[in-house]
Order: sequence, then C-alpha cells, then structure tokens
Amino acid sequence: MRSNNMVAMILAGGRGTRLFDLTTKIAKPAVHFGGKYRIIDFPLSNCANSGISTVGVLTQYESVLLNAYVAGGHRWGMEGNGSGVFVLTPREKSSEDFQVYNGTADAITQNLDFLDNLDPEYVLILSGDHIYKMNYDQLLKFHIARDADATIAVLEVPFKEASRFGIMNTDEKDRILEFEEKPAHPKSNLASMGIYIFSYKTLRRYLMKDLKDANSSHDFGKDIIPAYLNDEKKLYAYRFRGYWKDVGTIDSLWEANMDLLDDSSRLNLMEDDWKIYTESENILPQYIGPDAVIENCSITEGCAVYGKAVNSVIGANAVIGEGAEVIDCVVNPGAIIGEGAKLTRCVVEDEIKVPAGAVYGSADSEHILLVAGGQKAV
Amino acid sequence: MRALGIISFEDNTVSIDGLDEFRPVAAIGMMGRYRVIDFVLSNMTNSGIDNVQVYCKEKPRNLFEHLRDGSDYNINSKRGNLRILYGEREFPAPVYNTDVANFMLNMQYIEGTNVPYVLVAPSYFVYSYDFNDMLKEHERTKADVSVLYMNTNQGRTRYLGCDSLEVNKGHRVTVIRRNMGRYQRAKISMEAYLMRKDLFISLVKEAYETSALYWFKDILRDKVDSLLVQGVPVGGYIACLNSLPEYYRANMELLDPANVRKLFKKDRPVYTQTRDSSPTAYKGEGKAVNSILANGSVIEGTVINSQIGRNVHIGKGAVVRNSIILTSAEVGPNVTLDHAVVDKYAIVKTVKELTGTEELPVYVKRRDRI
Repeated sequence: MRSNNMVAMILAGGRGTRLFDLTTKIAKPAVHFGGKYRIIDFPLSNCANSGISTVGVLTQYESVLLNAYVAGGHRWGMEGNGSGVFVLTPREKSSEDFQVYNGTADAITQNLDFLDNLDPEYVLILSGDHIYKMNYDQLLKFHIARDADATIAVLEVPFKEASRFGIMNTDEKDRILEFEEKPAHPKSNLASMGIYIFSYKTLRRYLMKDLKDANSSHDFGKDIIPAYLNDEKKLYAYRFRGYWKDVGTIDSLWEANMDLLDDSSRLNLMEDDWKIYTESENILPQYIGPDAVIENCSITEGCAVYGKAVNSVIGANAVIGEGAEVIDCVVNPGAIIGEGAKLTRCVVEDEIKVPAGAVYGSADSEHILLVAGGQKAV
Repeated sequence: MRALGIISFEDNTVSIDGLDEFRPVAAIGMMGRYRVIDFVLSNMTNSGIDNVQVYCKEKPRNLFEHLRDGSDYNINSKRGNLRILYGEREFPAPVYNTDVANFMLNMQYIEGTNVPYVLVAPSYFVYSYDFNDMLKEHERTKADVSVLYMNTNQGRTRYLGCDSLEVNKGHRVTVIRRNMGRYQRAKISMEAYLMRKDLFISLVKEAYETSALYWFKDILRDKVDSLLVQGVPVGGYIACLNSLPEYYRANMELLDPANVRKLFKKDRPVYTQTRDSSPTAYKGEGKAVNSILANGSVIEGTVINSQIGRNVHIGKGAVVRNSIILTSAEVGPNVTLDHAVVDKYAIVKTVKELTGTEELPVYVKRRDRI
C-alpha cells in the first residue's frame, strides 16, 4: 500500500571487504543474517512496513545474486500496480560513456531519469549494510513537520566511540549546524545512520551541481550534506531509539547474530506487525534428533541437529552432525558440521562442509573465526 | 502432463474428530508447517499439472487463505489456474452435498478446460507420487479408468470404510467394495482416478441421474464390469488420514527420518504457503528431542517426540511428549502433555496434565482455554 509520495533508494553497491570470504562471490547486502535473512531484507522490509511501495536498489559489485534476489519485490509484498523493487545497475547512456557508480551521490545522479519518471516529492536514501527496524513514515512526518530540506537519522552513541562515525552537531532544536566525518574531538554524540530524506526538487538541483564539480568525491556525507549546510539549508537530525547495527566485520556480524539470542538486546524479529520478509524456501521444518542437546539457540527451517548447539544461530538447511558441538557460533545456511567437530566462537560460511572431528575457534579468542571454503580464515 | 487436476473432498467415512469441525480435512495442519492438501497438490504440480480445481464441501475460508492464487505451489499465474470450487447453493440436507453434486454445479469449469485427461484425487491420502507414471500405465493398459491403490496387511483394523479392490493378474479391478475389516490383507483404493475428460463428465452425469446420494466412487463401483478399470499400485510412505488416531499416527511416524525421506524427495518438493516467521527460539531451559518444529515458536520447556507448528509457545517447565501442537497454540508453564493434539490458538494453562493414548489422543479444541 502506498501511503506517501516517497521513493526509497537503497545503496547496495558495497563490497564489504572486511567480511572476507563471505563477500567473494556475493555483495555485502546479500550476506545472510539470523539463519534465514539477508542483510538487505531489513531496509526492504522496513520500506514495505512503512508504506513505501517503490524502491530502487543500486547495485554494482558482484551483483548477480543480489539483483536476482531483490528483483520484482514480491518477497516484500511490493507487487501491486505502480509498485515494485527495481534493480539499478550502472548502464551505458546515449549522452556519455559508460561509468560505474563513483560515490553514493553519483549513484543517485546516474539514476535521476528513474526518479524523474516517478516524480516523487521525497526521496529516502538508505544503505544495505545495517540491521535495524525503523518506521520511515515517522521519519517523513518529522521531515514534513519541520519543513526541512533534508532530514538525517541519527543515533546517540557513547562519546568515546563518536570519533568512528559521521557526527552531527546540532542546535537545541536538532537543526544540524555542522557535519564532521570521524572527528578526533567530537562535539556531539549524534552519529549519522546513513539514512536521509531529501525533498526531491532541491536534491536534484544539488546533485546536478555536484556532477559538474571536478573536485567532488560525489558522496552524500562528504559533498552533498556540506553543500546544503554551506547554503544554510534546513537540515534536521531525527533521533532514532532502537536497535541498529552496522555489520561490516565478521565480529560485528557475529555480535548482531548473538543479539538475537539476548532478550535484552531489543533486536526482536518475532513482532507480528513488523516482520522482516525474506525468501521463502520449500524446505522441511527443523528436525531435532534423539540425542541432540540445545541450549539458548535460534534454529530455523530445514535444519537437522543431531549434536550439541549452545548459544548459537543455526541457518536454514544446516546440519549439526552427531557428536558435533557448536558453541557461540553462527552457522550460515546450508553449512554441514561433520560428526564430532567442535566449533567455538565461529561464523561458518554458507554451504560449506566442516570435516568430521575438526576443531575450530576457542572460547577466549579476541576475534571471531570465519570458517570458510573448507578451511579457516581470520 | 496435460490433465485437469481435481482435488475432491472426502465422504463421511472420513472424520478427524474435533479438527474437522473447524475446517475441511484438506486444511488441517501437518508436520508443523504443512496442511494436508499440500501433499496431493504438490504431487499434481510436480507432475506438470498446471490446472487444478479444489472442491470444498463447506467452510472454504481456510482453503482460500492457504492456497491463495496457487503461486506458492508453482502454478504459473498466467498460464495455469487454481480454482477453489464449492456448491454455491443450499443443499436440502448435508447428505446431498456429494462430490458428484459439486462437480455438476461447476460442470462449466470442467467442460471448459482444454485438456484430454482428468485426474481426481482426495487430499486425505498423503504420499509422494509422480502422476506421469500413472498416465504411462493408463496408456499402456488402454484402461478406461486407472486407480491408485496401496497394499496393506492391517485391513482388519485400519483403512475401515475405504474402498478395497480385487484385481486380477493384469491388475484389472474386478470388484470394488467397502473395507469393513473382513480381511487383513487388502488392496486399499487411494481414490485417485485418471480417465479421459469426456468419460469423467459422462460418469458424473450418470451418477447424478442414478441417485442424488451417489458419490463418484459409487458409480465407479457399478461400472467395474463394463469399463476397463486398472489398478496401479503405489509404494513408499502412505498415510490415510481418515480418523483422529490415524492423523496422530501419521504425524508420529513422520518423526522418523526414514519416512520423511520417502515423503519428501529432492526432485519433488512439497510446497506450502510461507509466512515469513522468524526462526524458532530456544530460551533458558528450552530444549527439544526427536521432534519436528516449524518456525516462529518460542520453546522454554521440554519437547520430546512431538510435532510443533508455527508460532507455538511452550512455557517454562512444561513437558510436551508424543504430541502435536498446531499453529499459535500455547502450552503454559509446568503443564505436562502426553499423547495430546492441541488445535490452533488453544491455550493449555490451568489444566496441568493431559494424557491420552495412541488410540485415543486427547484433543484440545481450537481457541479453547483450559
């Protein structure tokens, strides 16, 4: 159902190099999360649940799987008239040479024709890298109520971590006065979540200007937002209070999965009125064998558990063999843990086979071990 | 295969006490995430049948919700067709609401289908089968009607009320009679019939003219001498869900991975509606042993030898043993269930213990709070 005149554009071109083998063949937004989801299910489901019916997904790196996955939009219920999920990859244009997307703003600029056709009043810019549940319609209401030119969703982070983020310095009414990328001495703790609403007409003007600027890196954070601020446009910070996590590293991906097992983490995927939609597979329910031991786990359809699983997230069609133990692990879909194997604090890549008796990871490791391609990688 | 698939409804020899008060047998939950009809419907679409009519005796809401437009079952939304049909008129008494009467009321949709064959099958037999094999046999034997059957050596105690076949050496059916438990060894008709469309139509019309109480199987029984009716045996795992104990038994048998492998073949998936439920969470002391669980459930107690549906909650200290818990049911803290069938949305909380037997599992009604 379309309940507003806003089109969402999801920037899904990231390589996700810090996820190592998980992203050699697939783009980061298509990486599995929580045993059955892919990261991009979160922004797409948020769009569907917020009444947004048209979404462009901008892809670039290793996008075959990702494009096929999001195309059509039926997984998120966006199949009605005039709605849908549209894959936007770099393309050859009659007026210029073929160019890949050079920066987040450039990706949108290269698809202005797509937006012009839809003629939206507002454009919502999202990224495909975060785990969170957010009602973008409330963000839009905030944007309209303040008659803003742009609204940026922010998260209050601990001051000691603020220098890792893009920080918004605001006045007492949350109007943004200054934007600092990873400041050494942060003046505020309002971190940008990479979620923006722009009034389209103004954004279009700024993008066209930015296109002609040879010195620009064509990035929303580095170029577009500062240009708005320079012209004293009305930018507001929208304070988001809820679960949000960037899952750009193996450690953070593991942590976000573990948050599913912790009731106090506020990451709850069981809410009926804000479901996260994903691909549906014709697979059996989960089977828990006669000698299985299960403690504090999240287990999904298609799994067969014969061994022991403790504090772990077990993905679709994964098999935990007899006598095998997985402790504090994320076992991605289709992975098979051989008999007697012992895994502690690991993320196991999709579809791989861990040999019987193998021992990976340890309870006191500093980092989480990625078990990939039949061997371990850190 | 170019055939119209018809999923018929069962006559009054089939009664899954309690569960079928609320929905057709076709719509009863099985193995956590499935409904009874998923098996025969998946057999049809996996056999290349893209045009399916599902007949419903009464209470069609459940089936409409579950089957939707058939896209979950791989039916092409433009080329194929899934129709849910039912008698859109009042019958003077329920006894007149037969499969034949419903076929007659919807005859235009059968006549208007451009296919050479009709395949009729009920949903209460659960098995995995490629109907192309039946078609091959049908053409090879030049039969007028082919019918699937299963061999049993428990005819005295099970499959009562089902049709039992006598066949000669060439598998020609010579007698069809109701199984009244006379013989231990029997060939039980699975009521899946394949024939040319024009023959099907003329048999339906003849049945209707013969008696307002006739079912399709009745006219076939009359015609066994004048038509060439060929039996086609089926092996593998077969469940006949004609009573609550049989329904219970099938669910328990399907805790055995060997039976599951026979019913769920890699190249013939069983389709069902998907609900985007989150994975099932095992919290605190929550655990499961030798059980099958669908998604969306929260397990805080102990589940042993049981089938757990979607969005079920098993409370702290609860023990669920040898039981079937259907969608969105709740078992409260410290409740012990053994040999129980808990219907959808039921809550067992104040009653702390329920114990049934294999022959008589305890049934807790839909939406009951006890």
